[in-house]
Amino acid sequence: MAGPKSSSNASKRAAATAAATPSKPAPSSSSAPAPASASTVALHTLWAAYLDATPSRLKLVDAFLVFLVLSGVIQFVYCVLVTSFPFNAFLAGFASTVGQFVLTASLRSQVNAKNRALFKDVSPERAFADFVVGSVVLHFFVFNFLG
Amino acid sequence: MLPSLGAIFFSLFGLFAAVPVQARSSTGNSVLVVLQPDLKRDNFTIFFDNLEKRGYDLTLRTPEDDALPIIRDDNPTYSHIILFAPDIKSFSQDVTPQSLVTVLNAGTNLIVALSPTQSPVFTLASEFSLILPPPSTPLISHFPARDSPPSVIPVAVPPKHPLLTPNTPPVWYSGIPFAHGNNPLLVPILHAPAESFASDTDSDAGAEALFDAAERGGEGLWAGSAMGIVTGFQTRDNSARVTWVGGIELFTDAYAHKSLPSGEKSGNEQFARDVAAWTFQENLVLRIDSITHHLLNETVPREHYTINENIVFEAHISRYDSERGWSPYSGLHDLQLEFTMLDPHIRTALLPVTSKLGLYQAAFRIPDRHGVFKFVLDYRRRGWTILKATTTVPVVPPRHDGYPRFLSAAWPYYAGAISTSLGFFVFAALWLAGDDKERKKGKATKTE
Repeated sequence: MAGPKSSSNASKRAAATAAATPSKPAPSSSSAPAPASASTVALHTLWAAYLDATPSRLKLVDAFLVFLVLSGVIQFVYCVLVTSFPFNAFLAGFASTVGQFVLTASLRSQVNAKNRALFKDVSPERAFADFVVGSVVLHFFVFNFLG
Repeated sequence: MLPSLGAIFFSLFGLFAAVPVQARSSTGNSVLVVLQPDLKRDNFTIFFDNLEKRGYDLTLRTPEDDALPIIRDDNPTYSHIILFAPDIKSFSQDVTPQSLVTVLNAGTNLIVALSPTQSPVFTLASEFSLILPPPSTPLISHFPARDSPPSVIPVAVPPKHPLLTPNTPPVWYSGIPFAHGNNPLLVPILHAPAESFASDTDSDAGAEALFDAAERGGEGLWAGSAMGIVTGFQTRDNSARVTWVGGIELFTDAYAHKSLPSGEKSGNEQFARDVAAWTFQENLVLRIDSITHHLLNETVPREHYTINENIVFEAHISRYDSERGWSPYSGLHDLQLEFTMLDPHIRTALLPVTSKLGLYQAAFRIPDRHGVFKFVLDYRRRGWTILKATTTVPVVPPRHDGYPRFLSAAWPYYAGAISTSLGFFVFAALWLAGDDKERKKGKATKTE
């Protein structure tokens, strides 16, 4: 309620400053290392554009996706470096992140206003309901398999 | 089940057998002596009287006499057979090499005498991995210097042999030597002297040919201490014993009384008694009374075991003593137990337990492998009864609920799964909570 709003406001402000800051030294950047600053500028622009143009709901989805990727990578690294035993637990834990990622990514593409043309007959509410049902089924199997 | 039945049989048998004269043998006291016509019982008084003194019931017959067949209704009539008919070409119907092998398979023990004369017994000897020299080539030795002809030889008895009385004086011997085939069931008892050889003439006229043969690296020469003159054999399946003696004179009274070149009494009487005692299963006889297996800290065998469980295998072993009969025996220190599925997965020492006589025990962990396993106890030592017991036991993987759970190594995975679920709930809550604001916001932007 308050969280997303305030954070989105803050990020907007940050985006504004980020967009503003690189624009100042840009003309005088001929003496600075050109490619590094150019890519930095591109990244900054991208980040600013993302913060500016993305609805806060999709940002929430993206934050969840990032969390899932990190969790999956940590489990995979642990499996490779430490132990894959018990393997069923690894499969369950890893599959839960992967499955949740797939479901969440589907949700994201279905509720994205820009994809409205593609999913004419799927309302955002229906997409969320599908997501919830799919997730509940996924977690049921994951905890069954976790051992 | 089988050993327990065997034990019952033995105990019943013991009740009946205890009434007449105490038999010294573990398998029975009836002895058939097949004596060729030109030999008389009087020639072997000492040997036969010693047997009768030990409780044996001797039945004498000639080879061609078919009074009581040695097999009747597929059952052997006698417990032991002494075949003192080395020169006989034709035997009666029931005494053939085949029938002797049949009674041997039924547990009858044999003492078979050979002589330089070729006879049906020769062909039988080759079935027992004995390689006989050509006919009419007796063993000859010119050492030590003595009054007797070169074919009558004093042979030193090995001082430490499991089935002979220690320090038996040399025995007089005359007969043939034989080579031992590569058969682990053979039990060499007495070897030919090192300086002896087999030859068709005992005069010095043929010495040149022998000398040439020796020069050619011993080719064609039957000589040396690798040859046997008294050799035992134990059958693989029932440990019936056969003793092959290269010359019948070893058992005669004449040789028993004949004094050695050194002047002392010959060891023939003692040696013949020892050989007969071993052959008739009086000593070095073992049996497995029972075998059992159970989980560590339990006492009752399981129908099946699970991989990685700790189990205990136990065997009760008895030894036969001609004086006291069967009694538990803890003297075996090289028993081994194998736990096999095609290959031995475990091979471990089966050691005697000090607290209980006759009990051998091995504890081990079942390998991490499921399948049908066998406990194999297989003990083969020259001269001793073969001990063999196999028990099949299935080894199964743990049941679905038998695996360990909540392992510390798996906590990252548990944490991953739980955090994903919690993340899902938080996400769904934020999504639903953000719905109104978003709509308002959307409206607001629209109105703007």
